[in-house]
Formats: sequence, C-alpha cells, structure tokens
Amino acid sequence: MEKMNAPHIAGRHAIDRRRFLRGAGVALALPFLDSMAPAFARPADKPRRMLGICNNLGLLGDQFFPSGKGRDYVPSAYLKLLQDHRDDFSVFSGVSHPNVDGGHPADICFLTAAPHPGSGSFRNTISLDQHIAEQIGTLTRFPSLTLSVNTRTRSLSWTGTGVAIPPEDKAASVFKEMFLQGSAAQIDAQIRKLDTGKSILDTISDQAKDLQSSVGPRDRDRLDQYFTSVRDLEHRLQASKGWERKPKPVVNVPMPVDPANPALYMDRVKVMYDLARLALETDSTRAVTLMLDGVSAPVLEIPGATMTDSYHNLSHHGKSESKRAQLKIIDEWHMKLLAGLLTGLKSVREGDDTLLDRTMVLYGSNFGDANAHTCMNMPVILAGGGFRHGQNLAFDVFTNYPLPNLYVSMLQRMGIETDRFASSTGTMRGLEMV
Amino acid sequence: MSRWVLFGCLLFLALPAAVAATPESASGFTGKYCTGCHNGTAKSGGLDLTALSFEPASPANFAEWVKVHDRLRAGEMPPKAIRKRPDPVEQEAFLKSLNSSLVAAERKTTAVEGRVTERRLNAYEYENALRDLLHAPWLQLKGQFPEDGEASRFNKLSAALDVSHVHVARYMSAADYAIRQVMSVRNIQPPTSTTRFYAREQDTLVNKINTRNQQGDRATYPILGWQPQPDVFARKAPMTVGAGNPEVRNQEAIAWVSSNYVTGFTYRWDKFKAPVAGRYRIRFSGYTLWVAPMSGAKKHLADWEHISRGRNDEPVNVYTRNGVLNRHVGSFDLTPDPGVHDIGEVWLVGGETVVPDASRLYRSRPNNYRNPLMQADGAPAVAFQWMEVEGPLYDADTTAGYKLLFGDLSLQSNLEVTAPADPSELARTEERLMRAFLQHAYRRPRAASGKTEADVKRFVALVDERRRAGLSFTEAMIAGYTAVLASPGFVYLNEKPGRLDDYALATRLSLFLWNSVPDERLLARAARGELGHPAVLRAETERMLADPKSRRFVDAFLDYWIDLRKMEDSTPSSSLYNDYYLDDALNEAALAESQLYFADMLKRDLPARDVVDSNSTFLNERLAVHYGVPGVKGVAMRRVDLPAESPRGGFMTQASVLKVTANGTTTSPVLRGKWIMERILGFEIPPPPAVPAVEPDIRGAVTIRQQLDKHRADPSCATCHSRIDPAGFALESFDVMGGWRDRYRGVDESVPAEKGLGKNGQPFAFHYALPVDSAGVLPDGRQFSGIRKLKQLLLADERPIAANLVRQLTVYATGAPVRFSDRAEVDRMLLAANADHYGLRGIVQQVVQSDLFRSK
Repeated sequence: MEKMNAPHIAGRHAIDRRRFLRGAGVALALPFLDSMAPAFARPADKPRRMLGICNNLGLLGDQFFPSGKGRDYVPSAYLKLLQDHRDDFSVFSGVSHPNVDGGHPADICFLTAAPHPGSGSFRNTISLDQHIAEQIGTLTRFPSLTLSVNTRTRSLSWTGTGVAIPPEDKAASVFKEMFLQGSAAQIDAQIRKLDTGKSILDTISDQAKDLQSSVGPRDRDRLDQYFTSVRDLEHRLQASKGWERKPKPVVNVPMPVDPANPALYMDRVKVMYDLARLALETDSTRAVTLMLDGVSAPVLEIPGATMTDSYHNLSHHGKSESKRAQLKIIDEWHMKLLAGLLTGLKSVREGDDTLLDRTMVLYGSNFGDANAHTCMNMPVILAGGGFRHGQNLAFDVFTNYPLPNLYVSMLQRMGIETDRFASSTGTMRGLEMV
Repeated sequence: MSRWVLFGCLLFLALPAAVAATPESASGFTGKYCTGCHNGTAKSGGLDLTALSFEPASPANFAEWVKVHDRLRAGEMPPKAIRKRPDPVEQEAFLKSLNSSLVAAERKTTAVEGRVTERRLNAYEYENALRDLLHAPWLQLKGQFPEDGEASRFNKLSAALDVSHVHVARYMSAADYAIRQVMSVRNIQPPTSTTRFYAREQDTLVNKINTRNQQGDRATYPILGWQPQPDVFARKAPMTVGAGNPEVRNQEAIAWVSSNYVTGFTYRWDKFKAPVAGRYRIRFSGYTLWVAPMSGAKKHLADWEHISRGRNDEPVNVYTRNGVLNRHVGSFDLTPDPGVHDIGEVWLVGGETVVPDASRLYRSRPNNYRNPLMQADGAPAVAFQWMEVEGPLYDADTTAGYKLLFGDLSLQSNLEVTAPADPSELARTEERLMRAFLQHAYRRPRAASGKTEADVKRFVALVDERRRAGLSFTEAMIAGYTAVLASPGFVYLNEKPGRLDDYALATRLSLFLWNSVPDERLLARAARGELGHPAVLRAETERMLADPKSRRFVDAFLDYWIDLRKMEDSTPSSSLYNDYYLDDALNEAALAESQLYFADMLKRDLPARDVVDSNSTFLNERLAVHYGVPGVKGVAMRRVDLPAESPRGGFMTQASVLKVTANGTTTSPVLRGKWIMERILGFEIPPPPAVPAVEPDIRGAVTIRQQLDKHRADPSCATCHSRIDPAGFALESFDVMGGWRDRYRGVDESVPAEKGLGKNGQPFAFHYALPVDSAGVLPDGRQFSGIRKLKQLLLADERPIAANLVRQLTVYATGAPVRFSDRAEVDRMLLAANADHYGLRGIVQQVVQSDLFRSK
C-alpha cells in the first residue's frame, strides 16, 4: 500500500494523491460476502486465498522440528502450541530454497526463491503472491496486500521485474483504505485523479515507444521494461477505477490501533494477523504477505518476561543458554499468535467451508539457523487451504528437498495452471489436495 | 610457426563467426601444459579445456577464457607442484594472443552498444534531480521508492536499476508532491522573523514536571539559574512570569537528566513547527548542571532540591522531527555557563520541528532503570531556557522553483495559478511554460533530432486534453509537468553508443560528482561545445568538487564502496556490549569520521595509501574516547593527529567499517578478511561452496579463530582461506563497534562477571573469555603480529590499493563494470596517477578524462 516515508504536507491534495497511488501501487476490490453478487465472472470453483508470513529471525530448530515422520509425528515443544490445529497444518522438515543463501538478505527470497541474495549481482524474481495477483488480482478490490511489522523496506512481495512492493506497516491506514467509504465528491475526485493518471501514462508510454526505436538491443530491453511497467500500471488504474463506485465492505470491528513502540513487536504482529484475516474474510484480496522483521527491533517488551538483549542479538545466541531461553519465549509467542490466527480463520464460515479451508497460510523463515546464519532446513508450516494435513513431511536435512515445489502445489491449489515456480522440480511430494 | 601461435591466430580468425575452437586447435599451448588435468576425465577445477570452445559472444564462455588468462598470467596455473613449467616465451605469446582475441571480441559489441547499458536514475539521483531542478533542497523523496538493487557493488548500473509499475506510480506521486510543495512555498511566505520559544511554554516539556506518569529520570524540573523552583514544581506558582518580566523569563529553565528515548522524540519544542519548507536559523539557550542524589533507597535518583553548577560540557545533537524521519542537523557543546548556542542554518520541511538531544546522558529503557552516570555525589543534567528560530530566510532561490513552473503568473491563495482568460493566449502560455520547463528538465535540447518539438507537442497535448476533461489550468499543467518528470526522457540517461556528446558528458559528470542533473553553467558549456576539451573538463570537475553538492558524491560512494549505508543494520548486543547499545552519538561520529576522512583525501589530493593508514583522522570527544585518543574535547568533529602507537588511521580500523563488518554480537575474521580483500585491495572472492558454516559460540571455551583453524586444516578450504582470513585475523583486535580488545567477551559464568549499567539504565554483565590472537601470515609468506604490522606490509606496495580505487570509481562513475577490454585504460590511468603520487583527486580527474568515462 502507499505510504510516505518522506515528510509531506497534508494539503487538500494529499488524500487524493495517496488514494490514487494506492489504487496504482496496490491492488483494490469488491467484498465477497454471501449476500453480494460477484462483480466479475469468477472461476467456478470456490475462492482460494493465500497468506504468506516470514519471520525473518527464524525459530530455534531443536525446539521446532518434530520427531517422527508422516501422520504419527511427535510434536516438538513449539508444535505442541499448535496442537489444537494438528489436522489443519503440515510441517516440513529438511526443506529449503536451492542456492538461497546469504543469511539476512534471504528474507526477501522467502516467497521468490531467487538464488544468492547476498551476492553483489543479485536480482530478485517474482514472488508467489504477485504471481497469483497477476492471474486473479482483478477479482478483488486489492490484487494483493503487502504487509510488514517493524520495517518499511523489507518486503516479501516482488514484481516480475525484481522490484520490491514497499510494505505497509500501519494497519490503521490499510483498514481505512479497505473499509472506509469515501463521499460521492471524494469518489468523483478520485476517479478524476485516476483519469489524469491514465492520460499521463498514455503520454509517457508514447515517448518510451519513440525512444525504443532508435537504440541497440540491450538498451531497448531496458526501455521495454519501462514501457511494460507503464502498461502494467495502466491496467491497474483501469481495474481500480472499476472498483471505485462499488461500495466497500462493511465490517463490524473498530479501526485497529498500531502500537507506536517497536518494542511491542508481538502486539504489532497480532494487529497485522487480525487485519490479514479481515482482508481475507471480506474478500478484499486473495493474496496477502506479511514480513515479520525482527532485525532492527529493540529489546522486546513482552509481558511477564525480562529480555536482556534485542531480538536480533538474541538470535545470535552463540549457544548461550540464557539467550536461548529468552529466544524461546519469543518463539513461543510466535507460535501462540499463529495458533490464534488459525483459530480466527476457522471461526469464519464461508459456504460449506471455514475461511481456513480456503486460505493457505504459509508460515516460515528464511533462516534454518539464525545463529549460524544459514538458510538450510528452513522451518515451514502450511495450514489450511484445502490440503490433507496433519503430517510431518520430512526430507533429508543434509540434502534438502526444494521448497519451491510447495509453491507449485499452492499455485495449483489456487487454480492457476502451472508446473513450475523458480527452482521447483515438481509439486510437493506427499502433499495432497482435499 | 609453432602450434601455440597458430592457436592464437585461429582464435583471432575464428572470432567473427564465433566458431568453436576445436580440441585439435587448442591442443597447442593448453595441450602441452593444461589438459593433463583440465581434460574430459579429470576436469580439474570443473574445467575441461579439451572441450572448451571459443565463443566470446557467450558471457559465460568469455568469462571462462578470462579466467584461463588470469590464472596463467598470475602464475597460479599450472600449479607449482607440476614439474613441467611453461616456456616463458611460449606462455607470453599465448597470453598475448588470447588477450587480443578477447579484447577484440569485447570491443566489437562495445562499438555497437557501448560498455554501458541504458539505465534510469537511482532513487537518490532522482531525489537530488528534483531538488536541484525545482530549487527545493529540502525535498525528501528517496524514501518513497523501493530500494535500488546493487550490481558490481553499486546502485549505478543498469542491472541494479529495474523498473516496475511501482516505480512509475512513485515517479508520478513524487513529482506531483514536489510540484505542489514548490507551489506552497511560493504561496505561504510568512515574513522573516526571530521568535523565541520558551521552554516553559512547551507542553511536551512542561507536562513532564511533577505529573503522575512522569516520575524519576524521565521527568523534567523547573529551575531558575542554579535555584530549584519548588513552588512552580508544586504548581503553586505560575509556570512563567510571562512577557511582563523579560529578564526573569529569559532565565527560567527546564532541566532533566536523560537523553531522548529515541533521537528527535522526548524533549521537544512542540510550539514550533516550520510554517513552510525553507531555511531557518536555530539557536538554543541553556547550560549544564550537577544534581545531587537523593538518599537511602532513592539514591539513584536526582534530588532537584540540590543543584549546582555543571562540572563539564554536554554534547547536544540536534534533530528534525516530522513523525516519519529524524534528520541530524547540527550539534553544540552545552556549557556550565548559561549561553546561546547557534547551530546555524538548517533546511526544514513544512511542519517539521527541531529537537535537541543531550546525547551523553542515558536513554532509559523499562523497567527499573538506573542512571549509569549517577555517582556518589550526583549526576550531570542539562537545562534549557529557550530555542530561537529565525526564518524563513529568503533569497532569489526561494521562488525560483515556482518561476520555472509558472513564470510570472500570479498564484492565488487556493493554490490556483491565474491563467489568461483569452483561449488563444492561454494556449500560447501553456506552450511557452512547457517549452521552458522541458528545456531545463531534459538535460539536452533534443533539437537535432527534431525531438524537442515532438516533446513540447506531446506534453502540451496532455495539458489540453486534461483541461478539456474539466481540470483547471493549474491542475492540467501539474499533470503535464508530472508526466515530464516521470517520462523516460527524464528518468533515463539516454546515452548514445560511441563518444559521448557534450550534453551526455555533462549529465555523466554531474551524476558522478553531484548525484544529480547538470546545473545551468555546465549545460551552457555543453551548449558551446566546450566541455569536451580536456582543460575545460578538468576545470569543471574542480569546480564541482569544490561545490557543497559534492558531499553527495562522498556519501553515496562510501555508502556502497564501504557499506556505510549498513551502519544501522546491526545493534550492539545489550548483554555483551551494553556500553555501546543506544549510543547514537558514537554511531554518528563513526559515520562522520569515514565521510570526513574521504572528503579530506579528496580535497587535499591525499595518496591512495591513506586508504590503509594515516597518522591523522577525524574525531570528536566521543569517538576519541572510544579510540583511546587523549585530549579531544567537544562534540565537533575535527582532524586529529594520532598517537604514534595508535592502530587507527585508514578505513580498515575505523569504527564504522568495523561495525558494518560485524553483527553486533560476534566478529568473523572470514567476513572481515573477505571485506578487506574486496573493498581495500580489490580482489573478488568467490562465494564458498556449500559447506557447514562455523557456528558462533560465545560460551567462552573456544575462539572463532580456533574454530577456523579446524576448518582450514582441510586443504580444499585452505586454498581460499589462506587468502581471505589473514587480514581478518589482524582485525580480531577490534570488537563489534571497533573498540580495541585483548580478550573476547563471552557468557562463561565460571569467570567473574564484569558488571555495569548500560546506556539504557539496565544492569549488564559479561565475562571476559579467551585472549585475542591477531597474528597471521599473508599468502606470500610475510608474517604480522597484529594490525599495525599488517598495515605496514600492505603499504609496501601501494599499487593494488590505488588500482582498486581507480576501478571502484570507474564502476561508480560510468555505470558499468571494468571489463576485460577496459583493463588497458585502467592501467593507463593508474600509471598517470602514479606520476601524481596516486592522489585521490588526481585519480578522480583521471577517471573523468578517461575513454571509459567519455564513451558510452
């Protein structure tokens, strides 16, 4: 979603501009409530959705990974906290993104699987959610939603040209955008703004075409990327305009309050989980990503716990028992909040299903071991979305199984015809659709 | 003709068609000396020379042959253990022929497309371009764009600068925002005034006096001189005597013992908000204090009933605050004698305020914090009476941005420009304004190709169309200008293959030295066709380096060359390094040291060897204490001669570099060693194979070095690590913030704890672990006992250090990597720079004059 990192004067144009951008940079759409007729032709199947969450400091591996394989696995300390949902998720062991290394920088590859994020010549590729948004994004008011906690730069959502979609870290402003209905005059102004945007894009794509004609092949490729981006934005404006006069969904909850203090990291996570559920519940979008960035978080304030170090530094525990103990408290909070999210999604009915049945919740981390800064053996959970769960899909911890295969399975579950994603070699072995 | 010459000729002849060299033709030199190992069966190092064709059009194949060339040239191949040595004459001839084949192949594509691929402006360049074009130096736009990528280390290359719909949307919003800001500056022109904002009238400061939720060290206290004012504290007397008694009013102060929770936050002057973007002069009046402790269980708290004259100066750093971004804009030393401290002129965005931060004082963190500066007889404190703001300060530039957009047309208070009523006059005005704007915005007249008229037409058509759609003249013009500033003609460089013309040269030069678009003077010289003359180019380079805008070059180059942009990426562990945790003043001084040091090298044309060592550097008191350099007082950074035995001087031992190469908890000789090899000496280290990483262990029983020694015992690891690690070993003497250490810190509870209170007011304890071993052996066998000796060894040969600078600057300035065929030109620059003692300014001039810089 649009946000201003730089100062700006809230003049009479500010809101218009922000709204305009939101339409442009994000995605927009109609609530899919039972009572409402669909605005666009929808696939015959029920709506499918995804929520991808990356906790970029990882989880203590010896506390997370269960023992035993398949359906008879014995839950680990952390997975015990998810046992209410045992049949609604699968856990994966011995999986990672091939050639995705480099430690911290790998968080932005969690949903892209682009190789070697730490290298000087790294280029990211399209993320799972954007791949989905490109296919079905026009079905909802927002093609996708890119959220974050404690960062305004680290993003899970990447365009096909390898550009980050800046994440929105304020739940309140997303909420406003999704649910607050503008006045008729505001809507008119917004539509005028979209039209002006369209005229501007026409003009500059014209010039881009001109320039392309007189240059060599490499330069032309680069200008073509610009040209395509302009076209892409035009389509998005067009789609936004279509939603502009349609009423926004009415929700019965107060506007979220974003905790101002970054030390209240866990509260912020909770607020974002609630927002993501609301977005999916109202069918405002079908692809949500959420980066939980602990890297620059201060010493966390967690009720009942005393933290001596910042979250990031605890993750470099150096095998210190006291640091590991504190980290475990944080990790357990992550698990409890995740359990709460799943409970929330289950409590919403949609047709014959629960919302969780139609929402693939992918939770995991780029780090297999944050202390060693390694990205092998990533902790990964997939909950809901219409798969046969309740198992530990365990693979070789020395020669990992490619995680992008899971993304192919997820894309297929979305109803998108594909047999590849990034470095995939097939679909996820052992994971079956319901 | 011997077979190797034939092979060389074959390669050369084979070039145009990129025909695969057959194993038979390669069997000359390589067959004699290489294919014993590099064959289809053994494939040593993954290379089979019997099957390697010569297809220079394929980047991978080209790179493979470059590797063959380089390993042979460096004498690394054949391995020393192989008894059959190549005949030197034979080898030289083979290398020469391979070299010319490779160069010819690369030049062929260069001739068609240039070295450099079309690129857009990066986010910083775009921000500066709008600042300079619109005469709006206060604009903050960079944060609105997705972070730019990195290629060949910099954000200046095509490969790093992809575009998506997000960019196009942000260009439009950033341009629209900037244009409206410029209009509002013209619209709101409050008269310049000098206003005192008394501390006693600031809600934020007053609300911390004796209120329920403001107790202890975060609270504030009313004092008059060195007298507490208990009646005011108890709210029995008014907060201020008011305007009726200016003498007392000017002395009424509010005092406290903490620094801000985060910079730009806690103790702020909320009654001042810049009415409009512009230049302001800021002064503070205040003094330092000494506050006695309370007694008994409360002895950690200040007793404001007993205050006395301050015992020392306190550094105060000043930040802007606007709710999103806090910028450091000045600093001063608050003295025990009440006095006025002028921080000079600052640029503020409309609505911004200014916040002083007494940065040596502690930043308390919950719960039960204790003031680490509290001694048996008291603690330091600061008191402020008022902040004075003079502004907005006007000059010709203030409304120059508006003039560029709307000329002499008047602006109404509703931000609508008064347009001519007559339709044909209106049309003429539109065209006139758009033509003038395009002339400035596009960095060249596109007359030669008839493009100027096409562009004027294009954008005027947009304005017309929008007006017909119902927009006002003003809104339609804004749409037109926004389109220009988002158009490829503005956003892309549009360089043409071959020698750059004067306009393209002007743009390249200004992006290099100013990170922005050319100014009027540079464009004028381009228009007169003078810029291409070496003497003019040299003079313009000198002029631009002397301009304050060259600061952008220093900052942007260092952000990438030595990773200074990563200063905030790690925080010192608050259990092991609580003495650094939250110490923003230390971070800022460390960053400033590197920037000032490089700027000084540039200004005084200091030799490349100063990258590695120097007997002076830039310090303020905080950084000098960190380095153990005596006699530096005050917050101002200044050049300081280092004591003879100091390990400081040069980039490697600057706190900034040592911080960005550590993770806040531990250091790694591998990471630091790699960093020095790549950044300082210019060797690229290939990524490691997939082997288990060494896991940091702070329990104290084993050092990282001991763990690595185990790793290096494996000969396949040792080959690379014997090159990477040595420099890193020397830097083991420095902790995660660059402080000197003889022993590691760990968590081994069997050793007595070192206890203290951190800057966050929380107790901490760490345990000294094993001693540091900073000795090592360079790949060539030379031994060193620590960092000072290592520096001496590195300085024995200044050439690689200078060569690295030339290459890094060439990549940065031209926006393309130094390719195989560029090497000769780099060598030539280096030779010329050597004649000039490898001075940095001279090197910059060499780069600017080089064929690489002057051609696409």
